[in-house]
Amino acid sequence: MGTDMPPSSYENASLAVPSRVQRSANASRIEGEVMELFDEFRNPLLRYGLSMGLPIHDAEEVIQEVFLALFRHLHLGRSRKNLRGWLFRVTHNLALKQRLANHTSLQRTAGDAKVAEEHADPSPGPEEQLSAAQRRNRLQAVVQAMPANDRHCLRLRAEGLRYREIATVLGMSLGAVSISLTRSLARLVRADGR
Amino acid sequence: MVHKDTDPSRYHISDEELVRSADGELSPQRAAEVDAHLEACWECRARMEEIQTSIAGFVRAHHAEFDTQLPSSAGPRALLRARLAELNSESRIEWWGRVFQFGVPRVAFVCLALIAMAIGILWFEHAPQRRASFLFDAEAAPNRSLTPGVARQVTISEVCSVPQEEVIGDVPLPLREKVLQEYGIANARPDDYEIDYLIAPRLGGTEDIRNLWPEPYRTRVWNAHVKDALEERLHEMVCSGQLDLSTAQHDIATDWIAAYKKYFHTNKPLPLRS
Repeated sequence: MGTDMPPSSYENASLAVPSRVQRSANASRIEGEVMELFDEFRNPLLRYGLSMGLPIHDAEEVIQEVFLALFRHLHLGRSRKNLRGWLFRVTHNLALKQRLANHTSLQRTAGDAKVAEEHADPSPGPEEQLSAAQRRNRLQAVVQAMPANDRHCLRLRAEGLRYREIATVLGMSLGAVSISLTRSLARLVRADGR
Repeated sequence: MVHKDTDPSRYHISDEELVRSADGELSPQRAAEVDAHLEACWECRARMEEIQTSIAGFVRAHHAEFDTQLPSSAGPRALLRARLAELNSESRIEWWGRVFQFGVPRVAFVCLALIAMAIGILWFEHAPQRRASFLFDAEAAPNRSLTPGVARQVTISEVCSVPQEEVIGDVPLPLREKVLQEYGIANARPDDYEIDYLIAPRLGGTEDIRNLWPEPYRTRVWNAHVKDALEERLHEMVCSGQLDLSTAQHDIATDWIAAYKKYFHTNKPLPLRS
């Protein structure tokens, strides 16, 4: 980095601080960028936080922390490569930390299944509605019974992440993601076929 | 594993490759081979359809499970904006740290710091009134680890049907003393602090020590009277259907000053109604 530059220009670079106006414009630009990403990813990240078993207030707080961390990350001029993957990775880590602090269990309560049941799709007729709700409950039960990593892979894929991004978020190899998703989908197919 | 042969009678595509094909995760060449095979093989096509159906079913179940729990993003958005503004001002302070590191001689900086400290001490020593006021200002927000805010299960109709005077009772003296003790405040006069509910009872807040904190009356800006005005405003908004009760509880518990700025659309307290 610095060794590629002649000594005089290195010296100048270290002393050349941006003007107050430049700094302020830079911070405002980053702030605007963070707010745009918040608008785009707040709901997917919140859903992912909830799927990890966090109560809604904790999940909201985690998301706030994620975007504050993003601001610091961008402000320090760090990598902008794949910010979506970055956001999910930080959410995953903070949610794990929060869950540990709360001593909450990975197991969802029976109440959650009840909530899902209460919000059945209103458009079809009563019989179809019941059948759709039963199918949904069956799939949710299958997902809850999966190992945590399989569940996370599936949820992240449902939020649109590519295999490479999922691998980075969960610290797995690309092949392991592929095998995990195949295994999970085979279970879902079996449950659907019943 | 690469299969050159697309004759369906000779081999079938593995489930893993079908999933990767559905997800667009195969190399272009292998994806073309799989597509050609699927055209010719009913069995693989049927399995592919089962996989796609289960994916669609799972995505619907995933959304149905969580979407109904997602509150509006307006409150969290405003809170994030306020926190970013705060971070921005902190980052300016960090920038001064960098200037120090790169250019300004340290000795001169230390001298300046000592002079500033001496002026500060003199200012404090000779103005006890100002010092008290400054300390009170620092206490305008509760310590979140001591006072995270606690609310009971309550319906909108309960919240909106009970008049203010029936909701607010005086905090019992032993509890008041316990709160002051928890905050390390000794010998407080009754007119120094209001033992206030972080989430107001009229918004479902409870008389729990985790929902009570000593709020100074004498802060210059963000004092108990200003917070009372915020509680009034949130109550009005909740009861007129402009705001979710849970959002009101969350916002006031997280940072009541930010909530005031957000719901009164101002950066400083408005003049209090007489």
